[in-house]
Amino acid sequence: MIDPRSSVVRRRLAGIGRIAAFCSAKGGVGKTLCTALAGLVLAGRGRSVGILDLDLQGSSTHLFLGVPPRLPREEKGILPLPVTARLGLMSAAVFAGNRALALRGPEVSDAILELLAVTQWGGKDFLLIDMPPGIGEEVMDLARLVPGMEAFVVSTPSMASTAVVERLLGFLVEMRLPVAGVIANMARADAAPVRELAARFTVPFAGEVAWEPDLERALGSPQLLAGSRAAASLAAALEEVGW
Amino acid sequence: MHEWALAEAVIEATAAALGDRSPSCLRGVTVKLGELQAIDHEIFSFALDTLLQDRPFRAAVYRLEKEPASFRCGACAREWSLAETAGLGDETREAIHFLPEAAHAFVRCPSCGSPDYRVTAGRGVHIESLTLDAAGSCA
Repeated sequence: MIDPRSSVVRRRLAGIGRIAAFCSAKGGVGKTLCTALAGLVLAGRGRSVGILDLDLQGSSTHLFLGVPPRLPREEKGILPLPVTARLGLMSAAVFAGNRALALRGPEVSDAILELLAVTQWGGKDFLLIDMPPGIGEEVMDLARLVPGMEAFVVSTPSMASTAVVERLLGFLVEMRLPVAGVIANMARADAAPVRELAARFTVPFAGEVAWEPDLERALGSPQLLAGSRAAASLAAALEEVGW
Repeated sequence: MHEWALAEAVIEATAAALGDRSPSCLRGVTVKLGELQAIDHEIFSFALDTLLQDRPFRAAVYRLEKEPASFRCGACAREWSLAETAGLGDETREAIHFLPEAAHAFVRCPSCGSPDYRVTAGRGVHIESLTLDAAGSCA
């Protein structure tokens, strides 16, 4: 028996300039926020960007970007939902809505492979992948299926985060997955632990995303998110590492 | 025409499986279409025929076979078929058509109602077998 889907993944991604997964071994540190902000920042620079939400069981990028789940249009595959003129989104929430999507490991891999095989991204400058917390199927599947993929690693300055993210960085180095940068989220002038973590693995420290108490009000609005202080600080972090 | 993307995958996988063998060695390919994904046989067949025209193994015959879907509950061990899964509306079926794992958001065990089950057969598209020329020259 041959699973044909992996044979076509490279073709689907061939028109994309750079691909990065936003990951963290710790949950709740702001992977989705950083992914959404990065998408808006890069699109705001006039680049074409796709976001693939692979946090299958906790997908929320569509909520951050104000995209109501609806079935995608078809064109020799399925098309990302438009967020802005230059930003498109694909997510399991498109299919499952707000229902719980309880999947075991092999089913997670199946869903990832299906989305990679049938989503027609077309020409894009960037594809950003919002990852679930942890070091599971998603990281290993992408490392195998998407050669050349880079990783942005997100951590808060708290020891509760850095101690866990340290394991992820060790794993990425072991897997020889290039780390584009480590981002300190929810930083309140205390990002030193994240900076030191990046230095310990000799990977770039991209910068800090400033703690912004009012950011909740911007969630769901691409315009408000793009204009936030968090977006400005993430833009600087991307520039710092050549993105 | 979501089927096109999967037909393209089947053609690419055929080429990869043939490897260095002569394309003329390939006589046929048996493709299983899982009932859960509800691939449109006619559209899929049309896509395969169109995509094959540019391939050196275009003479190969693709046989499409439907594979019934079956489920097994992890909680009560009940096994059931798609026909026993009632109440799936058109939009839900369409969602599962695009992403079969979406079934886990909608389908429950008909005996105990558990969401903890596996799709044991008939999930999606796969190549069951390739038939090569038995006369040789296929090294």
